[in-house]
Amino acid sequence: MFYIHHTVCISPQISFPEIDLDQLIHCDENKLYAQKVAYSDIPAAMLRRMGKAVKLGVAASTPLFKLYDKLDGIIIGTANGGMEDCIKFLNQLIYYEEGVLTPTNFVQSTSNAIASQLGFFSKNKGYNITHVHRGLAFENAVLDVGMLLADNPDSNYLLGGIDEISDYNFNIDYLCGYIKKETINNNDLYNSKSVGSIAGEGVAMFIINNNQIGAISKFRALQTIHTTDEMELGILFKKFLIDNLLQNETVDLFLSGENGDIRYKKYYEYFESMMTKDVVIARYKHMSGEFQTASAFALWVSNYIFQTQHIPIHMFKKDIFKKKDINNIVIYNNYQGFQHSFMLLSKI
Amino acid sequence: MAKVYVTGLGIITALGDSLYSNREGLQNGRCGIGSLDYFPTKYAESLLFGEIKLSNNQLKEILKVNDLGVSRTSLLALHAFNQAICDAELNDKDLASRDTALIVANTVGGMCLTNELYQDANQRHFGSEYTSSYDCGSVGIFLQARFGIRGIVNTINTACSSSANAIMYGVRLIKNGHAKKVIIGGTDSLAKFTINGFNSLQILSPGLCAPFDNNRNGLNLAEGAAFLVLEAESNFVNQKVYAEVIGYANANDAFHPSTLSENGDGPFLAMEKALKQANLEPSDIDFINTHGTGTENNDEVESKAMIKLFKDKIPAFTSTKSNIGHTLGASGAIEAVYCILNLLHQEIYPSLNFKNSITSTGLIPQQFYYKTTLKNVMSNSFGFGGNCSSLIFTKV
Repeated sequence: MFYIHHTVCISPQISFPEIDLDQLIHCDENKLYAQKVAYSDIPAAMLRRMGKAVKLGVAASTPLFKLYDKLDGIIIGTANGGMEDCIKFLNQLIYYEEGVLTPTNFVQSTSNAIASQLGFFSKNKGYNITHVHRGLAFENAVLDVGMLLADNPDSNYLLGGIDEISDYNFNIDYLCGYIKKETINNNDLYNSKSVGSIAGEGVAMFIINNNQIGAISKFRALQTIHTTDEMELGILFKKFLIDNLLQNETVDLFLSGENGDIRYKKYYEYFESMMTKDVVIARYKHMSGEFQTASAFALWVSNYIFQTQHIPIHMFKKDIFKKKDINNIVIYNNYQGFQHSFMLLSKI
Repeated sequence: MAKVYVTGLGIITALGDSLYSNREGLQNGRCGIGSLDYFPTKYAESLLFGEIKLSNNQLKEILKVNDLGVSRTSLLALHAFNQAICDAELNDKDLASRDTALIVANTVGGMCLTNELYQDANQRHFGSEYTSSYDCGSVGIFLQARFGIRGIVNTINTACSSSANAIMYGVRLIKNGHAKKVIIGGTDSLAKFTINGFNSLQILSPGLCAPFDNNRNGLNLAEGAAFLVLEAESNFVNQKVYAEVIGYANANDAFHPSTLSENGDGPFLAMEKALKQANLEPSDIDFINTHGTGTENNDEVESKAMIKLFKDKIPAFTSTKSNIGHTLGASGAIEAVYCILNLLHQEIYPSLNFKNSITSTGLIPQQFYYKTTLKNVMSNSFGFGGNCSSLIFTKV
């Protein structure tokens, strides 16, 4: 579909500006907050008005804007955009009984605030869009970039996935049963026998084009579906691999979006069982936490693994205990048990 | 690349709950904007709105919805969705095909449920029935589950241009071979969140909005939904076809979070790129359904961008927001349906409440109903964050 050239990720782990994934950063009260970063490139007056998601988006994109001064478009996946500002505004309107309110939180709360601020910040008048389809928001952004490059082959695009933890969406997710009732540590996430996961947040940004030269990886295929039917998923996954892998090719690493929720473990175990014995199985949600666009973190970490040929030890679910190159990665993610995605990428 | 045609339409607005009632309202210059009967807000007395005169319970009854946790935004969407799939004669097999996609645009999601959201977002003791219904994605997820959609499903939010971008995404899915049929729609319901948000920006008119009038003083918020069925050319079996989606473009104004740049770079680029995509000259456009919100900023900037592109040959134009108000995320889809009615019946509907043209631009919208020859019509949608999109539909 396209090539990935540069990646930036601000996550709960040490990923920006330096990367050290061997040291696992732990969660706090079932929340994995993104690491605080210096926003030295954002003017102070602008910074004050920005919500966390917008700040994270701008901070992660600024290094890429410096590398590519002429991008052809900005494609963002975010389920909620600025959730913090959104509920702040809602609380004000309840508290002041629809009295005189300031528009700042309202303007910052719209889901498209991140992509539009990035357009504004980089003076980019090209294609600008925000996909918000919950657990497949980032996947739809990926599909969008793929189509853009099919139509405009010489272009460069900024692709990003981003969501934030606010107290408000944490409360709502908790009430829905998507956050664990008991407090757990993230290094214990996969041993949990209860429902729910731990909350996460972060941003991953990618420069995407059709140019193989200098690329880190090739994004080869994407498949999404809404279903709870394991059989249907199994058939689709087999077809995905047959359609997209060459005859003598194999998957080297299965990167699983397992999130410690006992209800969804069956899906991950089912796909793992379909992998041959020499496929490494690794997981990432103990690093990112669970959120709608966590698959953007998975795409980022896959590119890190391609570049370094190193998998941090805490990521292994199944090590094959022999040295082998990681050339092909399949990422499987599942959000709330019914939004599924498979992504296939290869090292360049 | 395959041509993409519109084969089904569904709509609900303050003008009516069917294609027929909407056309009748447009033809007769009817205005659906007025005082509120159902939605409770402090501004019910002081502002005017485009409200759909059906309560949530009435909608649930008409639509046979018994599930818990369905927001008004989803109910309006379901109403328009039902009409569109019925119009295009899609059966259960079509809906369940992996080649049928669903793209929904909205900006409000379940945020119309102010008190429930306030309660659920601020404590962790007990949840309402709506905890899974607040995000924008909830509408598409509701429709996906109800109809067993197996193809690509997406939700787009680019503020007031959301559903224009959804149509564009749908067309591109077909052209790139990711789908054969796409059901696309926009929906939004009235919400205290948007009423107070737009009020804090001081762009709500206390009277009826007056698009392109020199004394315009803001927009009227409204609710509504529209769905369109798009199909690839190769897909047809002797079926009715409304129009071809021939041009589409998205550009960013890159100027300000809630105001368009003085010369309208974003609106100009969107229209220009849509023409280029359609392989048309400015003189090929016979009619424009403008964004025309009635705010001081939008109408002047949109006029300037139109003058820059069309020079002294400005096509006939109107703003149907003078009939139904501004339906935010639904407006692009609703206005696409109106453009298709223009094409289908070869007629122009009057723009309402216009008296004097804007001093700096002098453009005059069409104020009377008339029959005419229309081949290519353009629809503009511009949103907060500078998200500008234009679509071009052509007669088949």
